[in-house]
Amino acid sequence: MSRLLDQFLAEARELLQGIATGLMQLERAPGDGDAMNALFRCVHTLKGNSGLFDFPEMMRLLHAAEDLMDAVRGGSLAFTPALADRLLGAADLVSALCDQVERGGDTRGPQGEAAVALATSLRALLAPSPEEGTRPLAAVQPAIDLPEAALAAARVHGGGEALHFLRYTPAADCYFSGDDPLHAVRQAPGRIWGRIVAPTDWPPLAELDAYANRLGFELLSTAPREALDRHFRYVADQVTIVPVPPPAPQADAVPDLPALLATQRATLLEADRPDWHPGRVRAVVAVLVNTARQLGRTALAEQLPALGEAFLRDDDVAPLLAAVDALAAHQAPTPEPARAEEPAAARSSLRVDQARIDRLLNLVGEMAVARNALPYLARHAARLDGGRELEREIKAQHAAISRITDELQAAIMQIRMMPVALVFERFPRLVRDLARKLGKQVDLVLEGEETEADKNIVESLSDPLVHMVRNSLDHGLETPEERRAAGKSETGRLLIRAGQEGDRIRIEIRDDGRGIDPARIRARAVERGLIAAEAAAQLSDREAVQLVFLPGFSTAAAISDLSGRGVGMDVVRTAVERLHGDIALEGSPGQGTSVRIVLPLSVAVTRVLVIESDGQRFALPIDGVVETLRVPEADIQGMANGRVIVRRGRIVPLRALNAALGVAAEPRRNSAGELAILVLQRGDEQVGLIVDDFRETLDIIQKPLAGVLAGIDAYSGSTLMGDGGVVMVLNPRRLW
Amino acid sequence: MPIRFLKRKAVCTEGVDVEAAETLHGWLLEAPGRSVDLAGCTHLHPANLQVLLASGAPVTALPADADLAAWLSPLLAPKG
Repeated sequence: MSRLLDQFLAEARELLQGIATGLMQLERAPGDGDAMNALFRCVHTLKGNSGLFDFPEMMRLLHAAEDLMDAVRGGSLAFTPALADRLLGAADLVSALCDQVERGGDTRGPQGEAAVALATSLRALLAPSPEEGTRPLAAVQPAIDLPEAALAAARVHGGGEALHFLRYTPAADCYFSGDDPLHAVRQAPGRIWGRIVAPTDWPPLAELDAYANRLGFELLSTAPREALDRHFRYVADQVTIVPVPPPAPQADAVPDLPALLATQRATLLEADRPDWHPGRVRAVVAVLVNTARQLGRTALAEQLPALGEAFLRDDDVAPLLAAVDALAAHQAPTPEPARAEEPAAARSSLRVDQARIDRLLNLVGEMAVARNALPYLARHAARLDGGRELEREIKAQHAAISRITDELQAAIMQIRMMPVALVFERFPRLVRDLARKLGKQVDLVLEGEETEADKNIVESLSDPLVHMVRNSLDHGLETPEERRAAGKSETGRLLIRAGQEGDRIRIEIRDDGRGIDPARIRARAVERGLIAAEAAAQLSDREAVQLVFLPGFSTAAAISDLSGRGVGMDVVRTAVERLHGDIALEGSPGQGTSVRIVLPLSVAVTRVLVIESDGQRFALPIDGVVETLRVPEADIQGMANGRVIVRRGRIVPLRALNAALGVAAEPRRNSAGELAILVLQRGDEQVGLIVDDFRETLDIIQKPLAGVLAGIDAYSGSTLMGDGGVVMVLNPRRLW
Repeated sequence: MPIRFLKRKAVCTEGVDVEAAETLHGWLLEAPGRSVDLAGCTHLHPANLQVLLASGAPVTALPADADLAAWLSPLLAPKG
C-alpha cells in the first residue's frame, strides 16, 4: 500500500471520529456554530482527501453529506436526531469503505453501491426545496471573495447557467510532482473565463527560482461541480471551488439601493443653488462613493469626487447622473465578507509506525540485559589479582549506563503512552445508539479521559469496556417508566471514570440502574451448575456478585441483540487478566452497579521479583506481591483443604510452587528451618506461595512465549537475565 | 527543441516544456536586452512564464494560439 494511502486512511479515521463527535454535539446543541464549523471542516477535509484517490463512491457520499450539512449550516434544513442518524450512518459507511480500501484497495462492490444509494437519499433530503436550498448555500459557501474580473465575466455570460469560480493556488513545489497548472486550467471543463494571477515583486532574474511556483490561477466554468472536482482531483487541496451566485437583482443585494440612488438623483436634479449647494453635492458624492465601493466599482468610486467637483465648477450634472445610472444598473451580487480560512492547527507531532517504536523498545530491553551483565563482570573482575580497582570502575560505569538506560526506557515508554480518551471517545456514540434502540434515556459522564496508559493497554481496554457499557445499558439501566416507578429520575446515569493510582490505572464503570441482586446471582450460578448450592450459600453478598465472572454465567433471561450472546463477564475478566489487571464488581438491588478495573500503566516493562525453586529461577510480577515471609514450619497449620498460615488475623491459604508446577521436590528450608512464603494479592483475598528462596527485583521486558509453551498459562512470558540465563515469568493468577 | 535561440531573440514554438525554463533563464541572464517571440507557441509551462515575468524581457509577439494569448496577454504586453 502506498504511503499516501496509509496516511489517508489514518487521517480518515481521525476525521470520522471528529465527525461523529461533532454530530452528537450538534444533536445536543443544534445552534452551536463552532461545532457546526468544526464538523463541516472535518467533512470537507475528508472529501478533499478522498478526491486524491480513485474512490468515486466515497467521494459521492461525502459530497452529499457535505451539501446536506451546508444546508443545515445555512439554516435551510433543521438538524434533527433523524438527520443525525442518517449522517452517522454515512460516517459508518465511509469507515467501512476505508476498511475495504485497506483490505482490497478500492471502494467498489456492495459497500460502494450502498454508499451511492445513501448519497442519493441524502441528496433527496435536500431536494424538496431546491429554491430555498440553493440560496443560503451560496450565501454561506464562499470563504473566498470573487475578483471583480470574474464577476464581470459572469455578468457577460449571463445568468442562464450555474457557474463555478475556481481558484487554483498550486503548491510552490508542484512542478516537481509533474504538475503543469496552466495546462490543467486550460483543459478545465466548461471554462468561460480564466486568468493567471502573478505577483509583481519578482526577485532579480539571477536569484529567481523558476521552479518554485508563485503563480495562481482563476477560472469560471459552466461545468458541474463534480466535473471540476474530478478534473482537479489530484490537486484538490490546492483548489477552491465556489458556486458563483446568480446575478441577483439589485434589490436583493442592497435592499434599499434603488431608493437610495433615486434620492441621490433627485437631490442632484434640484434646480436651486442655495448656499449649501456645494455641501449638498459633496454629501451626495460621498454616498455615491460608498455605494460604488460597496458594489465593487472601485474605479468609479475614485472618479466620483472629480465628477462632483466638475459639477460644482461647470454646473453640468450629466456626468454625475450617468454615474448614478451606472450604479443603478450595476447588478452586483451581495458582497461576500472576506473570511480568513482558519489555519489548520500547526502540527508538530509525528506519525510513526508502531513497529518502529516497538523495535526501539526491544533494543532498549536488550541494552538493559547487557547492562545487567556488568555486575557479573564486576564480580568476576574482583576475583582477579588486583581486580578491586577494575571492579570499582566497572561498577561506576554500570551506574552511569544504568541511569541512561532507565531514562531511555522511560522516554520510549512515554512515546507509547496514550490517553484513554482514545477508547472513551467511542462511548458517546455507542451509548446514544443503544439508548435510542432500547428506548432508554441515558446521561453518559466521562471523567479522566486524559489519563494515560501504554498503547497496548488502552487498545486492549476497548473491547471489555464496550462489553460492560452494553451490559449497563441492557441489563443495568431501566426504561424511563421503570425508573419513574422506582422513584428515580427518568434519565439514567452512566459514569465512566479513569484515573491513575501510582503505577496502575483504575477504570470505573458505574450506573444507577436496577443494580445486581446477590440472591439472584447465587440461584443462577447454582442453576447453571457453576457452583454447589452449599458453597453458594456460604458466600458473602460481595463474593456472590463476583460469580458473574465465571465462564458460562449469564443472567439475561432472553438472549438480547446487545449483550448476552453467550459471551459474558468471564470474557471481560480474561481480557483484563491478560493485561495483568484485576476486576471487581459491586452493587446491590436498586442501587446500581459498579465495575472497577485496575491495570498496570504499562505492560512493556514489568518489575519482577526473582525467586528460586528447586534450583530454578522464576520471576513474578511484583505488583501482585504483598510481602515476603520466612515462616517457621510450626506456624503452618493444616486445614481440610490444605495448609494455611494466619497473617494479621486473616487466613492465608498456602501452595507450594513446586506442586503448582508439577515438580516433585519438597520446598527447601533455610538453616533456621523456615519456609520462604510469598504472599500474593488475588482480588480480595491473599494467598501464599511457598518457594525456596527470594532473589533480587528487576525491571524486565517480557517476551511472549511461542509454540508449545504458549499454551501453558502458568507462565506469562520469559525474559533474559544479565548473566545470559532465561527466566520464566509466572502468571500468579493461574497458579491455583 | 521548443525554443530556438537567435542572437538577440528566443523564438518559442509549439509546447515549451518545463525543462526549457532553465535554458531560457540562463540565456536571458547571459546578456541584457534579449527578447522573446511566442508567436508559434501553443503552450507554455508556467516555469517559463515565471522566467519571462521576472526578467521583464520584451515579448515581441504573443502566441497565435488565441486561447494561450488570452491567458498570457494581461501579463505580457508585447513590446516592439
